[in-house]
Amino acid sequence: MKILPYIFYLLLISAHMVILKDATAIGPATINLSALLVLVVAMYKSEFAALWFGLFAGLIASIGDPSVMGWHALVLAAIGMSAFHAREKLNLDSIYAKLLLMLSGLFIHTVLVVLINQRDDFFYLLWSSVLPALLYTGMSAWLFFAIKEGRITFRKLKAIF
Amino acid sequence: MTWISSVVTKYRRNINVFLALSICTILILDFFGINQYVSQGGLASFHAPFSKIKHTIEELSDVAIHNVELRQSLVEASLRLEELEEMKRENIRLRSVLGFDPPPGYSLLPARMMSITGEKNGISAVVNRGTNDSVAINQSVINQRGLIGRVMSVTSDYATIQLLTDPKNRVAVRVASSREMGIVRYSLSSGLIVENFQVQGRIVVGDLLLSSGLGGIYPGGLAVGTVTSVERPKEEPFCNIKLLPAADFSSLEELFILRPNNL
Repeated sequence: MKILPYIFYLLLISAHMVILKDATAIGPATINLSALLVLVVAMYKSEFAALWFGLFAGLIASIGDPSVMGWHALVLAAIGMSAFHAREKLNLDSIYAKLLLMLSGLFIHTVLVVLINQRDDFFYLLWSSVLPALLYTGMSAWLFFAIKEGRITFRKLKAIF
Repeated sequence: MTWISSVVTKYRRNINVFLALSICTILILDFFGINQYVSQGGLASFHAPFSKIKHTIEELSDVAIHNVELRQSLVEASLRLEELEEMKRENIRLRSVLGFDPPPGYSLLPARMMSITGEKNGISAVVNRGTNDSVAINQSVINQRGLIGRVMSVTSDYATIQLLTDPKNRVAVRVASSREMGIVRYSLSSGLIVENFQVQGRIVVGDLLLSSGLGGIYPGGLAVGTVTSVERPKEEPFCNIKLLPAADFSSLEELFILRPNNL
């Protein structure tokens, strides 16, 4: 497995956390880029890639909080593995099936992260932060799949104008 | 060694999962405080470069904001400085006015010039004093340097001054040293000139000319101008005399209206 793209993804997660997160936030909703990338890797790459990339993405995503670093790594590695096996067992040709898997993975990850970080305010955070973030990240995922599957192309965009 | 290789190949997936789980367990349990090292290493290698970029962007943004603020401050300071310079100039002018005594029998009414009319030379000027301040027609107007003109018309709040540089204006004058008399008027071609001054009269360049008080409009003793040239043409009864006005008509601001004390 070539590791260079994965290092780039990890750097992208870092850049998103440090610079882009605030700039791309819409109100309380921010893109859950680490989970998004882990799920994308799980859908298009091997099991090992999903496992190890999930683990390192979890580490990078929680690098500022050493006390929960292991939990984050475990959650993302498990989600990566699970998404890979779901992809293997389910027919994921449809963009909507991929999107559903993506949304499920994102929801589970966000809920688990909230449970790890702030257990007391769970229900408040679920409405105020988790669901907006899920919608925002889901839309980003749909955009990604639409571009990757050729539903949105430069030629089509040009034809609009 | 072959059996190890075959075991690794056979249980590759399980070994990977076991390794990943082991790493997660070590991190969860924070063995030997390893999380701190991992965190520091990760921060240094992954986050630090982007933090630097972010700080640089924020600094540039701050610099841009400060730049705008400083530009605004600079403009404000420039305006303030200009205002202070103007106040300084006014202060100097007013200081020169202090201690300026009116001719006997008159009192000074300070007035500020509102506007001036005339193309090449000022003909008339409007000041911010009128009948409400006991200003009347034909009262003389001076400044600290000398004669300016006379009140030509007056309303309740404003008065129009006929300036000395109006060609229609005439002032009876006397040479301060010799006491010989003439009439001063303004000529568009020659500037301020003295008429009706006999060729035998005693006048030289540099002589000061004062109002004579004859004519009933201007009181005597007001500085009118200084002689700059004297020509005595043969076969003509009067000299050609040019004057430099005592007052600078190009920069009139604070004026004084001479009000007779018996009003």
